[in-house]
Amino acid sequence: MAPNSDNGYRDPCLSVMERFGITVWCEVIARTTRGDFEGLVLPRSETADAEHLVLKLGTGYNVGLRHDTILGIEKIGYREAKYKIPEKEFPIDDKKPTVKLFGTGGTIASRLDYRTGAVIPAFSPGELYGSVPELADVCNLETVKLFGVFSENMGPEQYLVLAEETGAAIREGYDGVVIGHGTDTMHHTAAALSFMVQRPPVPIVMVGSQRSSDRPSSDAARNLISATWAAAHGEIAETMVCMFGPTSDRYNLLHRGTRVRKMHSSYRSTFRTLGDLPLAMVEQGKITPIKKDFATRRSDRDVEINAVFDEKVSLVYYYPNMQANVIDGLIDAGYKGIIIAGTGLGHVNRLLYPALERARDAGVLIFMTLQTLWGFVQMYVYETGREIMELGVVPLANMLPEVAYVKLAWALGMHPDDPRAVGELMSRPVAGEMTEREPHDGYLVFQGGVPEIKGFLGRVWK
Amino acid sequence: MTPADYRELGFMAGLEVHQQLRTKSKLFCRCPAGRYVDHFDAEVLRHMRPTLSELGEYDGCALMEFKTKKEIVYLLERGTVCTYEIDDTPPFEIDATAVKIGIEICSLFKLNLVSELHVMRKQYLDGSIPTGFQRTAMLGLTGEIPFVVPSLGVDRELRIRQLSLEEDSCREVSDFGHRIVFRTDRLGMPLTEIVTEPDMVTPEELEAGARVIAQLTRTTNKVRRGAGAARQDVNVSIAGGRRVEIKGVDRHRGLPRLVHIEGFRQLGLLRIRDELDRRGVEKETLELPSNGLAWNMSDLAIEATASLRRCDFAPIRHALEQGEVICALKLPAFAGILTHRTQPGITFASELADRVRVIACITSRPFMIHSDIEGYGLNHSEWRQLRAALRATEDDAIIVLWGSATDANTATREILIRAQQALVGVPAETRQAHRDGRTGFERILPGADRMYPDTDTPPLPIPDSWVREVTARLPEPPWERAERYAALGLEPLLATRLATSTWASLFEAIGPTEGAAARLLAFTLEKRIPYLRRKSGLDRLPEPARLKPLQSAFEQGEIRREGFEAAFDRLLIEADRETGQILEKYRVGLSDAQELDQLLAWTTIGARRMEGEPQEKILRWSMGQVMPKLLGRLDPKLVRERLLETIES
Repeated sequence: MAPNSDNGYRDPCLSVMERFGITVWCEVIARTTRGDFEGLVLPRSETADAEHLVLKLGTGYNVGLRHDTILGIEKIGYREAKYKIPEKEFPIDDKKPTVKLFGTGGTIASRLDYRTGAVIPAFSPGELYGSVPELADVCNLETVKLFGVFSENMGPEQYLVLAEETGAAIREGYDGVVIGHGTDTMHHTAAALSFMVQRPPVPIVMVGSQRSSDRPSSDAARNLISATWAAAHGEIAETMVCMFGPTSDRYNLLHRGTRVRKMHSSYRSTFRTLGDLPLAMVEQGKITPIKKDFATRRSDRDVEINAVFDEKVSLVYYYPNMQANVIDGLIDAGYKGIIIAGTGLGHVNRLLYPALERARDAGVLIFMTLQTLWGFVQMYVYETGREIMELGVVPLANMLPEVAYVKLAWALGMHPDDPRAVGELMSRPVAGEMTEREPHDGYLVFQGGVPEIKGFLGRVWK
Repeated sequence: MTPADYRELGFMAGLEVHQQLRTKSKLFCRCPAGRYVDHFDAEVLRHMRPTLSELGEYDGCALMEFKTKKEIVYLLERGTVCTYEIDDTPPFEIDATAVKIGIEICSLFKLNLVSELHVMRKQYLDGSIPTGFQRTAMLGLTGEIPFVVPSLGVDRELRIRQLSLEEDSCREVSDFGHRIVFRTDRLGMPLTEIVTEPDMVTPEELEAGARVIAQLTRTTNKVRRGAGAARQDVNVSIAGGRRVEIKGVDRHRGLPRLVHIEGFRQLGLLRIRDELDRRGVEKETLELPSNGLAWNMSDLAIEATASLRRCDFAPIRHALEQGEVICALKLPAFAGILTHRTQPGITFASELADRVRVIACITSRPFMIHSDIEGYGLNHSEWRQLRAALRATEDDAIIVLWGSATDANTATREILIRAQQALVGVPAETRQAHRDGRTGFERILPGADRMYPDTDTPPLPIPDSWVREVTARLPEPPWERAERYAALGLEPLLATRLATSTWASLFEAIGPTEGAAARLLAFTLEKRIPYLRRKSGLDRLPEPARLKPLQSAFEQGEIRREGFEAAFDRLLIEADRETGQILEKYRVGLSDAQELDQLLAWTTIGARRMEGEPQEKILRWSMGQVMPKLLGRLDPKLVRERLLETIES
């Protein structure tokens, strides 16, 4: 809501307000065909219709009055609300590690403008300390707000800045880096950082929240405490995502940045490691490793930053009867690389063969990943697979489609004019994005309702 | 107590009536509404954190709940909850049926309807709602209904402040120590909250007001009935006191005693305030530094674990064995105050203990003793020793409590906070109603800052078409119905009862045309329907067409008064038998006289055996033989005359 506009009101409501000489923040008595209403005129959300005037009543409730029911409005006062998050000085303790927190625009901590409902992000150390005082027990915190974009608007431009800034923070000697991020594309950014920031000597922990911190049941505080703990005290020096393990308030999980994926639109426990085990469980004061092979914290500051990204890459989700012109369109638009999320073991239909052939001839690199998300691409089993490989499509083992997309864009950025080197880089694991083996418990999508799962759910906190 | 006494006390009470609506699904998700289960499939553990208010402060109530550091466990049953209720999925569209029922109730209460519904979040940190807030929307404001209670001499208007549409909360299973467990089946069911102005000035008026509201909402026939379907919160204050909210009273009958006791609790607290004022007690003498363990921070408290290690009072012995901390604190100039009575059988000490129980979550019983009852717990020398250690005089009260160090610290702090509030008089609280009419502390009354807009739901314009649709078929308010029934010839009380009954519409549809017939029908419905529901499992009212022939037969003199009820019963129970067939048996017919002759002859044989007995006895016996067989068909007077003739002859 732009503060200097007409606060979201348009005609016909705006002219009613003008007629009676009132603006937002006026305290009014409105006479309407449905009776009298007394309250404070609030700004209106710009996405809402133009028909209603919003009043905040004395009881705290908001109500809307339709413009054509309003017979008269009497102004009885004016009370403009200004909002600021209280800042409390973040206590510095020389004995505690110091963590750099980057903000990207997702609101890890926020509070609500109680009158309009707008969310004000809390970000400075003082603001964060005001909302989550436990942070002072974890580490010293320094914060930099890099961008103010929603998760879905994070892209190459932001990846590059984030990688460079992370590298700089590491070289400056911080004991860990935490990145606050919207959850929707957190796994894309985690993959990008995994490739762009190599051999980090300290933990790089991405964190967000599924429930904003203006809600009493928010996961934000616990996520933030766990993430800063992992960054400040953890031994795992990789790019990770730190989010709720179960939906209950029990522990967080640290996921490797190239194997993690958001799997539910709204659950707290939405982030899962796919085809492998998460790195560790974490809560304030305690990290319990699950995987044994991880890069450990070092005292040196030798980090390799390769912040490159070629935007001419696409991710195509195959469906039966997909027509060749879908691929043709990408070739014509000058795309240099395509990741296909294929069916089963890595298949597409014959209709696409001519397009794949044209792509190969045009020098467009095509790689195969899986819609099943779990499992390995195996194109030798069926004839279809062998045919597709003959058309130049390269299988990418168990790399997740989104990770493959990010990696290809990065690899093309690393070797702009060397398709062979790109192919070689794609086929070699760089940051755990492909594994040699899938543990038997790397795939666990429990089926509700069956007796053994019912028994299990009766015993644990979900 | 007379109304005048309550007037002198400045007694004022208002109601917040929560009424569940009869909808298929819950308010913000498509789970079934009204299904209660005792089993569960899974559990979820959550905690609540207070969020900052717009002034950057924490709401007192929210902070109190945070102090309790509760683990909140939710029991989930697949058939009654989805991921919405446990706050893992955003709300779905608001249930339109619930909104329409809400509009209907608003219209009945003559409330001003809003044109656009804004869903708000009202914070509750007690865990009763997993999100930490209740979604609620204001639907109507400022109305009034006739408030006529002849037995109380009340004849005025009852002002209604507002009606909001809300989701119901969880059902509490247990609350022990630092863990509270809730069932989630009821969570999210739609209900209306109707708030009155504090217009009820005696406890009896409050009960009557609650009944009037309940009756009016029920005329819609779209609200739930039965245990827990309607629950009221009562706001009570007396002059000089403060608004106290008593939560979740589900019986009207208990209301007068409840608020009477609350009025006197407030009076007791005001007397304590005056006494403390007279003694010159200042708030500052009861304050503690905000951090650290109370007994390390102030002269008001000491740790008495070591000095009481030989104490032989069993609860303290037990605490010592558990390795708990014993803390003694003094309340300067409070001697004698702790035994001041606040409720029947309850003293001021329990005001302190209640807060400790709720906020520090100490589970042992008892967990504290005090010096106003010196003979209990500690012996004389132990009290003297504590008094010396605390540098307390005879004018001071001493409290000894025990628990884990954290809990004992919270307890000490809460007692001092409550003692400070005693200087003001009545703290603004939410209290829990007990069955016996007494109340206990539940939480601090939340402030207005706990309400903020729900960013997950768009505003919902209420179309004029909805309002027209609802008002077109608005049920007649009970008072208007009652007037109509009275005009028909029903006594005022019977008319009122009928007007608020569930069979009023059946009565209307049968349509009795004159006084005596209408009275008989009204009485029969009132008497037989609850009976048949109870005894014969009658689960719904019959179609009017089933009863109409009975009514018209009666009005035309074809069925007699004596047969009406029996015919009525059979029409309702024997659903597969034709109406005409049932009524035939009760119709006054030509063959009746003949049948009577036969019966008389047969009875005479039996009566002979009673020869020598008083005539009246023989007559009574004979009537008993004959009447059941002729019930409803012949006038008993006639039968009696004929019998008398026969016996005499």
